[in-house]
Formats: sequence, structure tokens, C-alpha cells
Amino acid sequence: MTTPAIQLSGVSKEFATSSGTTLALDHIDLEIPSGAFVSLLGPSGCGKSTLLRVIGDLIPPTAGTVAVAGMSAREARRTRQYGMAFQAPGLMDWRTVRRNIELPLQVQGVPRAERRARADEMLELVRLTAFADHRPRQLSGGMQQRVAIARALAMQPRVLLMDEPLGALDEMNREHMQRELLRIWRATGTTIVFVTHSVPEATFLSTEVVVMSPRPGRIAERIAIDLPFPRTDDTRVAPEFYAAESRVRSALHAVLDPYESVTS
Amino acid sequence: MTAHLVTRPRDASPSRTAATAPSRRRAAGAFAPLRSLAIAAALLVAAGLVWEGYKALGRAFGDVIPGLNVPFPIATTDAAMPHIAQIVSALASPASVAGGGTLLSYYLVETSVTLRESLYGMLIGAVIGALLAMLLREIPLLGKATLPWLIVSQTIPLVALAPIIVVWIGSAGLPSWIAVTVIAAYLSFFPVTLNTLTGLNAADPLHVEFLRSISASRWRVLVHVRIPTALPSFFTGLRLAATAAVIGAIVGELSAGTGAGIGRAILTAAYYYSLAPANLYAAILVASLAGIVFVQIIVLVEWLTLRKRSS
Amino acid sequence: MSAFSPARPVRFSTGTGVIRALAPAAVLGALVLALWQVVVSLGGIQAYLLPAPSTIAAALVSDAPQLLAAAVPTTTAIVSAVVLGGILGVVGAIVITLFEGVAKVVLSLVAVASCAPIVALAPIFNAWFGSTSLMSKIAVATVAVAFPIVVNTTRGLLRVDPLHRELLDSLSGTRGQLLWFVRLPGALPSLFDGLRIGSTMSVIAVIVSEYFGGTAQALGVVIANSAAVSRFDLTWAAVALASAIGLALYALVALVEALVVPWRRALAS
Repeated sequence: MTTPAIQLSGVSKEFATSSGTTLALDHIDLEIPSGAFVSLLGPSGCGKSTLLRVIGDLIPPTAGTVAVAGMSAREARRTRQYGMAFQAPGLMDWRTVRRNIELPLQVQGVPRAERRARADEMLELVRLTAFADHRPRQLSGGMQQRVAIARALAMQPRVLLMDEPLGALDEMNREHMQRELLRIWRATGTTIVFVTHSVPEATFLSTEVVVMSPRPGRIAERIAIDLPFPRTDDTRVAPEFYAAESRVRSALHAVLDPYESVTS
Repeated sequence: MTAHLVTRPRDASPSRTAATAPSRRRAAGAFAPLRSLAIAAALLVAAGLVWEGYKALGRAFGDVIPGLNVPFPIATTDAAMPHIAQIVSALASPASVAGGGTLLSYYLVETSVTLRESLYGMLIGAVIGALLAMLLREIPLLGKATLPWLIVSQTIPLVALAPIIVVWIGSAGLPSWIAVTVIAAYLSFFPVTLNTLTGLNAADPLHVEFLRSISASRWRVLVHVRIPTALPSFFTGLRLAATAAVIGAIVGELSAGTGAGIGRAILTAAYYYSLAPANLYAAILVASLAGIVFVQIIVLVEWLTLRKRSS
Repeated sequence: MSAFSPARPVRFSTGTGVIRALAPAAVLGALVLALWQVVVSLGGIQAYLLPAPSTIAAALVSDAPQLLAAAVPTTTAIVSAVVLGGILGVVGAIVITLFEGVAKVVLSLVAVASCAPIVALAPIFNAWFGSTSLMSKIAVATVAVAFPIVVNTTRGLLRVDPLHRELLDSLSGTRGQLLWFVRLPGALPSLFDGLRIGSTMSVIAVIVSEYFGGTAQALGVVIANSAAVSRFDLTWAAVALASAIGLALYALVALVEALVVPWRRALAS
């Protein structure tokens, strides 16, 4: 049995507030196999973004342990096992697209020739080679996100953590980017943890959807999505997709209103 | 969205923590003015130590850097650099002018004269500037023609015209304080006009569209949308005007040679420097503090006026 | 706009767009000059009170040797102060940023202190360096330049995009790397804001401190002296020359900014 990419045991997170403490995450146990695409889905306040940052060692858990490929989360961050993409691309205006992608490699101390080769590879992967010397502001939102993803993948991380990266895009760009993301994932074999509050998005992208309930954040249900790859626009209209989507949707509705369940 | 809750496990530096516990944040907020004062005091003490320390070093080495045989850039004799205690005591000692009182009170009176003239000039310039800005906003061609000149006015030394103004006013037989007021007025006019015009033009197009859609007149659009949007910019211009007005007033007093004001007092102290070096420092200290207080009062007015706004 | 935020920097866009944009201003300027000329010539205003533009232009030509000779020490002082003040300002800003805990407070204190009439320091520097020395003018102007640069650069250094900070953290970046990769390049636009203001402040500070005393060959002295003997054509000519120097310096800084901070132009468009 291969070591799971990510293993969370009894992870809890408390935040101090003006009225005492808030329990954001309550005893989360989660195992994510290597190479999986897992979505964290839930309403606002369910702690999915917090959980993502606990996994990435940007927030320390109040209790419990986080292991990534056998190492502690802290060790994993120190050895740069993570790539992160956020809601906003967060590119640096003063760098060209290529130099933005090179940034993690610079921080890591990779020599210039290798940096450039790797950046070019990433540009190929996200299909933005023609824009290598442009400035971020000259690109559309979707393209900037692609650069951000390329940057996140530049160090070939074991785990890619994504916090609603497609939220700011319009419907058509969003669906296009979802296809692109799947293609990149299949090409690199990275383990992806993807935060979203969109049911169709989670269903289309993931191998597994983790539905979280709010206040405090808990895992309510884990739904395996068995749809075959590659997933295309045809997949979106297949009956199996609707079935999977409905299962996810009713799981989500269950956590929104615990006294009512929607039959699929 | 909990996207901003990022705490550093290993970096204890407080400012890095975006999610400081709100109770700690509130406490910090309550003590903020005290904290500012404490830091200001610490900085002043540090500055004083540097001053006296430099003097002590100079006295010890006879004003020559040992080994390099290079003289100290600034002489450290008491004539060139009085002790801080000497400056303070000079302020406390009686002024050699009719009416008695300490040197400090004399300088304060002179400063109040300067500031009063600056204030009058500033208000006149600011009012005319704001009104003109509204006019320029409503007549776009005029606005487009004037804006570049307004920008240019901020890059050239308008204060250089001060001596001319002083002679004009003098030859017209008017007292010199009017010259000072005029200088402060025209120095205030330009930044206020420029900033107010920029602010008026920056009104949210959505708001303007909304009012137009309910057939509001141009006047109403001006009053309800443009002016409120322009207020912060107006105050920015006013702050610049205040700083410039004080400088202008002092320069005007220099050129005038007669009359009251702290500029004159500084000039006198400079003239009699060899007799009483500490007086010059004292006068400049009072003038600097007065300038700061003057602008801070404008900042206070700004804060009071804009306090109720949400964004 | 903050207290130190200047008017927008000049954009060097090419083509008819610029000409069309500046045409109304040029027309206005020409109209004002013409009006001035007419009013003085025909209105009977005594020439010594307000010279006509033609008289001022004549003075510029006839007194050119004196004016240009006077411009040399003044310009030297102005440029030296911008350079010195710039270096001091940037160093000061970095030092303040090192003390993250108190940086914001120190920044506001410096911003408050900068409202003081710096030119009042001129007599002190005259006493220290001699009223005819160039150093006394440079010293006053350096202080006047350093203040806006410290304030603006510190603001820029402290303003870190939280996304960039999170990014550096996820990469396990050091504080030094944060400074080098994020803070410094991010602060460049603000630094140039301060530099543009500083260049204007330098011109004002040098001219005014020359009013307090200076060599016979200095623009400020020419202005003050010629006004004292009512030779206003020379005074206006000298003021015009000083303004030209100020504009040229501002344009130079804007040009350097366009080269060093090219992404700002893309932002504005």
C-alpha cells in the first residue's frame, strides 16, 4: 500500500475571538491517496480554506497531526513539497510571466539555466508560451490564473493546494479552465486538494468530494466520483454525471439544513 | 471567507499575524496614542543623545577625526552647536523686548502672527480654489486646458515670486502682512484647485449614472455625488496648502524686512548669532513646531469632517 | 491621494493623442500671455511693477550671462540634494522597515515632522557651513528631499500584498527573500513618487535658502536682489529660469521612472 500523499489525524483548529474561542475544525481525519484530485466542498464557514492552510502548514493545528508523504507538514513546507494557488492570481506586476513562474525556483536557489528550462516547460504545460515575456497586467484573468498554476507547479510539488482559483472567472472561462486543470493534473500526476463551493465544479474535477459541515468544520460525507477520465464537455451531460452531482448536492444540502434531506 | 487567517508558527513578530486575537487588537488600539507618544519621546531622546554625543566626541577629539586628519563636518563648539540645555534655558530667559516675558512667549506671539496670516491666506486661496475647481469640472474644455498648468504649478517654485509680491504690496502703501497673506493665498490656491478638481472628476460613474437616470439636475449631481467624493482630495490639497502657506509666510516676512512674524524673528536671531547662538535654535525650534501644529490642526479638521464616512 | 501623493506622472505616449490632449492647455497659455502683454502695454501699468512678457524675454536674453552663471551653483545644489536626499531617504526607509513592530508609528511621526517649514533651518546651516558656501544650501535641500522619500518609500515597503506574503511562506522563504523579491520591487513606484516630490522640494529649498544669503552668483540671490532694486524684468526672468530647472528635473525623474518602473505605465493604460 503506497503511503497516502496526505494524512490528517484528529486535526482541530481553534481561533480566539472577541467572545472566547471558535472551533473552526473539529477532529478531522482524512487520508488522501497519492495522485488523487480531492475537492473540499461546503458552505461558508465550514472551514475548508482553513483546512487547506493547515494541510499546507500555513496555519498550525491546535490538535492532531498532518503528514505529507510520510513527513510532517512543517518538514514538507521546508522541503517545498507544496504548490499553492489562491483565489486571486497574485502575480507580481514587476515581473514578466516567465519570471513570475521562475520565482519559486529562485527562492529555492535553482541555477539560471535550469530555472529557465523549467519555466519554459511550465509555459508549455499551461499553453502560454507565446506570452512568456508579457507582463501580468496584459493578460486576462483566466490567463493570469494559468500563470499562477504554472508557478505553483514549477517546483514539481507533491501536493498542489488550490483555494477557489476559478471563482473569479465567468462561466465559459471557468469550464475551459476546469478542462485545462484536469489535463495538467493528468500530465503531472500531482495530488491536488481543491477548495470550492460549486457542486458541478467539484463533481467534474474530482476523484473524491469531501463535503464539510459548518460550525464547527467537520467532514460530513466523502463521495467517490467514479466517472472515467478523460472528462470532457460530453461528460457534463452524461446521466452518470447528473447522478454523481445529485449525490453531492444532497450531501451538501444535508449539511445546510440537518433536518431536511433531499432524495436523489 | 477565512482566507486571511494566516498565522506564522515560528515568526513571533506581531505585525506578521493577520489574525491577531481581537481582544489583543482592541487593547493595542486603546493604547495606540500613548504608544505613539512613547515612541515619539524615545526618538526625541535618541536625537538629543546623538546631538550631545556628537558634541562630546568633537570636544574630545578637537573637531578632527583621529588618524584621518579630516575636520568634523560641523564644528562642535558651543557657539556653533549649543547644548540642548542652553537652548532650553534661552527660551526660558527674559526677552530683550518691550513688554518683557520670556523669549519663548515672545516667539510664540510672533509665531501666532505668522500663522494667523497664513491661515487667512490659506482660507482665501482654498475657497477660491475649490470654487474654481467646481467651475472647471462643469466646463470640461476649460478643465482640460487648465489641468496641465495646475500640474506644472506643482513642479515649479512658486514661492520664488514672494519677493516680487512683497515689493508690490509695499509700493502700494499697504502693510507688509497683506503681502504675507497674498503669498499664502496663491500658494494654497494651486494645490487645492488641482486636488479638488481631481477629486470631482473621480466621482463613481455608477452614482452619477443613477442620479441622471432619475433626471437629477447637474447641480444635484454636483452636490450629492461629486462634492462628497471630492472632500478627501480637497483635504489632501488643503494639507499641502497649509505646509506651503507656512513656508510662504516665512519667506514673505524675510523679504519684507519689517513687520512682525517668526520669519522676522529668525532673521533677527541670525543677525545677532554671534551674541546669542542659542536664540536662533530656539526660534527655529518654535517655528518648526508651530508649522507642524498648524498642519496637524488641518488634519484634525479633516478627520472630524470625514469621520462618519464608511469607505 | 495621501499627503505626499503627487499629481500623476507625465506619460510619454507618442502620437497625436498627446498633442490633442495638450492643445487646449497650450491655447490657454498663449491666450494668457497675449492678454498679459496687451494689458501691460496698453493698460499703462508701470513697467517696473509688472513687466510685459516681451520685456521679460528681453531680460532673459540681455542678462543671459548673469542668469546662466547664477544657475550653475543653484542647479548644482538642487541636483546634489536630490541625490543625497534620495540615498538618505531610501536608507532611512529600509531602516524603519527593519523594526516592523514600530514601523507604522515611526512612519506617521516622520510624516508629521515633515510638515515643518524645513526652510527655517537655512540660518543654522548658514552658521555651520558659511552663508556663501554651497554646502549650506545642499544641506537644507537634502533634508527637504529626504522627508518625502522616507515617507513614500517606507509606505511602499510596508505595503506587502498578503498574497505575495502567503506565497513566500508556502515556499518557506526567508525574511531577506521577502525583502528582496517582494518588498523592494513593490516599493519602487512609491520611491519614485517620493523622488518626484523631492525634486520639487529641492528647487524650493535651494532658492529659499539662497534668500537667506548666498553667493552673488545664485538664482535665489538674483531674485531677491533684483526685486529689492525693482528690476522686476530680471526677477521674473530668474523665476522663469528657476521654474524651467524645476520642470526639467521633474521630467528627468519621470523619464528615469519610466525606464526603471515600466510596469507602472501598463497599469495606467
